[in-house]
Amino acid sequence: MRRVTVRGLLARKLRLALTALAIVLGVTFVSGTLVLGDTLNRTFDDLIGTAYQHVSFQIRGKAAFGNNNATAVNSTADRKPIPESIAAAVRRVPGVAYAFGSVGGYAQFMARDGSAIGKGGTSTLGFSFDPNPQLSPYRLLQGRAPTAAEDVVMDKATAAKYHFAVGERVLVDLPDRPQTFTISGLVTFGSDNNLAGVTLAGFDPPTAQALFNSRGYYNTISVLAAPGADTVKLQRAIAAILPAGAEVVSGQTVASELSTAVNNGLSFISTALLIFALVSLFVGGFTIFNTFSITVGQRTRELALLRLVGASRRQVFRSVVGEAAVTGLIASLVGLGLGILAALGLKALLKAFGIALPSAPLVFEARTAVVAIAVGVGVALLSALIPARRAVRIPPVAALVEQSEVETVLVRRRQVIAGIAMVLVGVVAFVAGLTKPDIVLVGVGALAILVARGLLLPLVARPLSSALGRPLARLLGTPGQLGRENATRNPRRTAQTATALMIGLSLVSTIAVLGASLSSSAKNSVDSALSADYIVSGKGGFSKSVVADVSRLPGVTTTTVVYQGRFEVRGSLSTLVAASPAELSRTVTLHTTAGTGAPAMAAGELLVDTNTADADHLHIGSTVPVKFAQTGPTTMRIGGIFKANPLLGSYLTGDGFFLSHFDNPLPIAVLLSRAPGDHGLDGALGRALKPYANVSFKTRAQFEASQQASVNQLLGLVYVLLALAILIALIGIVNALMLSVFERTHEIGLLRAVGMKRRQVRAMIRSESVIIALFGAVVGLVIGTLVGVALASSLRNKGVTNVAVPLPSLIGFLVLSALLGLGAATWPARRAANLDVLAAVAAE
Amino acid sequence: MTAPRVPHTLPAMLTNSLEAAMALTSKRSDGPAARALDLIKTYGTGEVEVRALDGVSVEFERGRFTAVMGPSGSGKSTLMHCMAGLDAPSSGSAFVGDDEIGRLDDAGLTELRRDRIGFVFQSFNLVPTLSAAENITLPADLAGETVEREWFDALVVQLGIAERLSHRPGELSGGQQQRVACARALIGRPELIFADEPTGNLDSNASAEVLEFLRRAANEHGQSIAMVTHDPLAAAYADRVLFLADGKVVGELSSPSADAVLAHVRRLGG
Ligand SMILES: Nc1ncnc2c1ncn2[C@@H]1O[C@H](COP(=O)(O)OP(=O)(O)O)[C@@H](O)[C@H]1O
Ligand SMILES: [Mg+2]
Repeated sequence: MRRVTVRGLLARKLRLALTALAIVLGVTFVSGTLVLGDTLNRTFDDLIGTAYQHVSFQIRGKAAFGNNNATAVNSTADRKPIPESIAAAVRRVPGVAYAFGSVGGYAQFMARDGSAIGKGGTSTLGFSFDPNPQLSPYRLLQGRAPTAAEDVVMDKATAAKYHFAVGERVLVDLPDRPQTFTISGLVTFGSDNNLAGVTLAGFDPPTAQALFNSRGYYNTISVLAAPGADTVKLQRAIAAILPAGAEVVSGQTVASELSTAVNNGLSFISTALLIFALVSLFVGGFTIFNTFSITVGQRTRELALLRLVGASRRQVFRSVVGEAAVTGLIASLVGLGLGILAALGLKALLKAFGIALPSAPLVFEARTAVVAIAVGVGVALLSALIPARRAVRIPPVAALVEQSEVETVLVRRRQVIAGIAMVLVGVVAFVAGLTKPDIVLVGVGALAILVARGLLLPLVARPLSSALGRPLARLLGTPGQLGRENATRNPRRTAQTATALMIGLSLVSTIAVLGASLSSSAKNSVDSALSADYIVSGKGGFSKSVVADVSRLPGVTTTTVVYQGRFEVRGSLSTLVAASPAELSRTVTLHTTAGTGAPAMAAGELLVDTNTADADHLHIGSTVPVKFAQTGPTTMRIGGIFKANPLLGSYLTGDGFFLSHFDNPLPIAVLLSRAPGDHGLDGALGRALKPYANVSFKTRAQFEASQQASVNQLLGLVYVLLALAILIALIGIVNALMLSVFERTHEIGLLRAVGMKRRQVRAMIRSESVIIALFGAVVGLVIGTLVGVALASSLRNKGVTNVAVPLPSLIGFLVLSALLGLGAATWPARRAANLDVLAAVAAE
Repeated sequence: MTAPRVPHTLPAMLTNSLEAAMALTSKRSDGPAARALDLIKTYGTGEVEVRALDGVSVEFERGRFTAVMGPSGSGKSTLMHCMAGLDAPSSGSAFVGDDEIGRLDDAGLTELRRDRIGFVFQSFNLVPTLSAAENITLPADLAGETVEREWFDALVVQLGIAERLSHRPGELSGGQQQRVACARALIGRPELIFADEPTGNLDSNASAEVLEFLRRAANEHGQSIAMVTHDPLAAAYADRVLFLADGKVVGELSSPSADAVLAHVRRLGG
């Protein structure tokens, strides 16, 4: 029997290759994602390893919030600084060979043309340069260490790319204001030219303390133990001289905390990509299922003959499933190989959508191979189960009867009942989910509807494809009419063939609706929250001098400075937004439902949004426990409740209160309003912001557009990732058409014999393909739109205030589907048209 | 009265191994190889009901070559299907040896077909993706057994397909395909071979080769054979001919000549 399986595989090489392609693509995606994830993890682990290679201990402030949650670990802002005096004390501890206190912060190099170097925000690092190479991961490559207040060392990558040399001057934007420095030397990070794409600006330690507002303090102190020192004792000895609120941990601990945090952050990207990979595999599974269903149908006589001469049911089952397993295995291996290319492609894709990642040699873990093969073979096996069950039900006598090619519409009652039951369950879950609203219930409902669709689809396949085919038949005459009949002659097959495309398009349209709703909600939230004429913002925080520079421009009537920081409220970590309350109403619209807005902020009270107030049962006058990294726990009085708006966040307070609880925070935005009738502000603002290369201003309309653009960019990325699923669905259509052409060889030969032209044969096959694609697209779009609307409505509490259906996009998808269907038919149509008439007529 | 063509018209390839193989033949109990008791088979219900078998009781004797004749639609194939366990009769019972087919489950029926029955049909006898040799050994392969090498060699030589063993069915003529099917039917020394119009698609020369082979198998190895045909010439190769019409047994001839069969057919038809 194994021989029969193997021979069968060889005899159907082409068809299986097409089937396998679906798995190849899915597995490529999966293994590419895994390789990319491992590569990034390894890269960051190596970097962290370099940074802490020689550090025996690190002294730092205790984490303010809970234990090491992913972001808290890395953020010095969540730890209290260490007084300078401790460093001196630590150096005196016996067994300590060397200790270095460091500070760090925002330091943005400017290119000669005044533009910011790098991507701003977190991709710049300013730090205090340790001239002693024993501890420091930085290596001085050229020049000398910074020793004076105007010295800076620059990473080699920046120097090379922007043509800076030792001795030249460079402008650096800093927390307080931009300043010009002299490049005293060039550095590398370990052996890398920069820190995974982050630019490096190293200053003389006292200068760094001054620049980063840390006079008299360090963020951390790194300690090098003397050779042969007992590290356990040493750590205890250091701990003994530390004040409360500071701790000493081993360099390894810091390194592993950091890599855990980075890996957690990266796993988000991997998970997102894996979801799309699984969607592709899911769609691929349907195309495989369809191919195997059709082949089992076509092999009915052969399988019956095997049963006749003594093959047991189990043997037939194994042969079909075995064929799937071998196909899956080969496809997985190919996909695994291509996965490496995919990793590069995914990286390029993420980069194209603004997610830059460091470059490094790819890492191929054994786990990747295991997962890829398990997933590929698993999908193939699962998809073959139902066809294999059908195969074992073929009675041996079937070998003795001429096979009727046209399958009667077999509507099984069980299927209809199950389908209707699923629809009911789906709708109930859906509606319940919407009214609650509960996204899980909505999801369950959507899933049930998807399954029901699979069960009921064959029933609508005939009338719907027939209707869709009518214009084609009218347009193309007989070939179109024949194509239409071919598409409707076996509704079950049509439905199965279209299912993959249907799933793909329902996902696409769900996303489209969700995206349009998000985009329109973003506009809406800007409209209802902002009354400022200009929004000045940077990538991350920017120098405080920006505030002074813009607020003194003539024509500016109100300046609102916005800060943002992390704090713990009622035991959970949240974001606190602060704004200067003076004339707040001219820049920010707070729809307060209780209490006051600006006055409460000015009084240092907490304002919460309606969602939070409802969920936590907060009222005006309630006091809530809060905790700040620098100042510790305290309480805040609720002074106002405002209508929820994603732009404002959930917690607001005045800048006075904020500044007294955060250590030198940087403004993240400045909101300006101008005198009525004053139009000349654009030019003045541009000039004022010229020195701050990473700070820009937008009018309210521009800001709105940029908010929408970021939604659309994400949408674009999702479309690209879903495109693979659509591609796989198309392969499924190609495959099914090839099988149909093969099975109708005799019939096509007859048509040719009685005078059908090649061109007409092609038109016939193309019509069939377009009808199937349109059928899949129509059902997919309808369902996807419904699901999208439902999802968007259920997210009302999460800031999706508007539900929008992007009709032009949806119509575009429909047209695109028809074109893709036309494309999918190319090869099968050519094959059908090129059949040898004589041989085709003779074919059984 | 023309006697069936005698074996010496076959290629003189008969080897000693064939005789040696014959010596190994059956140690089975007496009694018929297969029998049917009052088989009734109806298709459809009501208006469209067709009585394909209408109380058929037959015995296929062990070691003999029995032909079942009758016009098209008389129920010949249905009878064969019911007796081979391929189809279930509406009532009545069928036995292979002492085993009642109706009592066997799917696994039992599978083993019955694989180990105790050989089949030759009018067409589509062979798995298209397997070579001739692989088709012949298919039942043994399915059972996980090996074929008797000598028996295999003797069969393919006698059937004149020794040179074609590596060919796929698509590369063989109709006659060659049927001879490969005969080899497959015989390779496992089944208790009974069912052949349904095995020469239906063949020209007279190819037919004669297949029929002569079946005749020899009965003569020389005591192979029990039940063959359905509507061709009097083919029926004349059998030891005994049963006549079927409208689902009933309507006559029987022993050691018939083609003329006698034809005469009988005429009499029934007239
Ligand atoms: N699967 C079936 N369904 C309905 N009628 C059938 C079926 N198989 C056979 N018949 C009918 O039973 C009768 C006997 O058929 P069959 O045994 O094939 O005849 P024969 O082989 O002698 O030509 C015929 O009338 C035929 O139409
Ligand atoms: Mg028949």
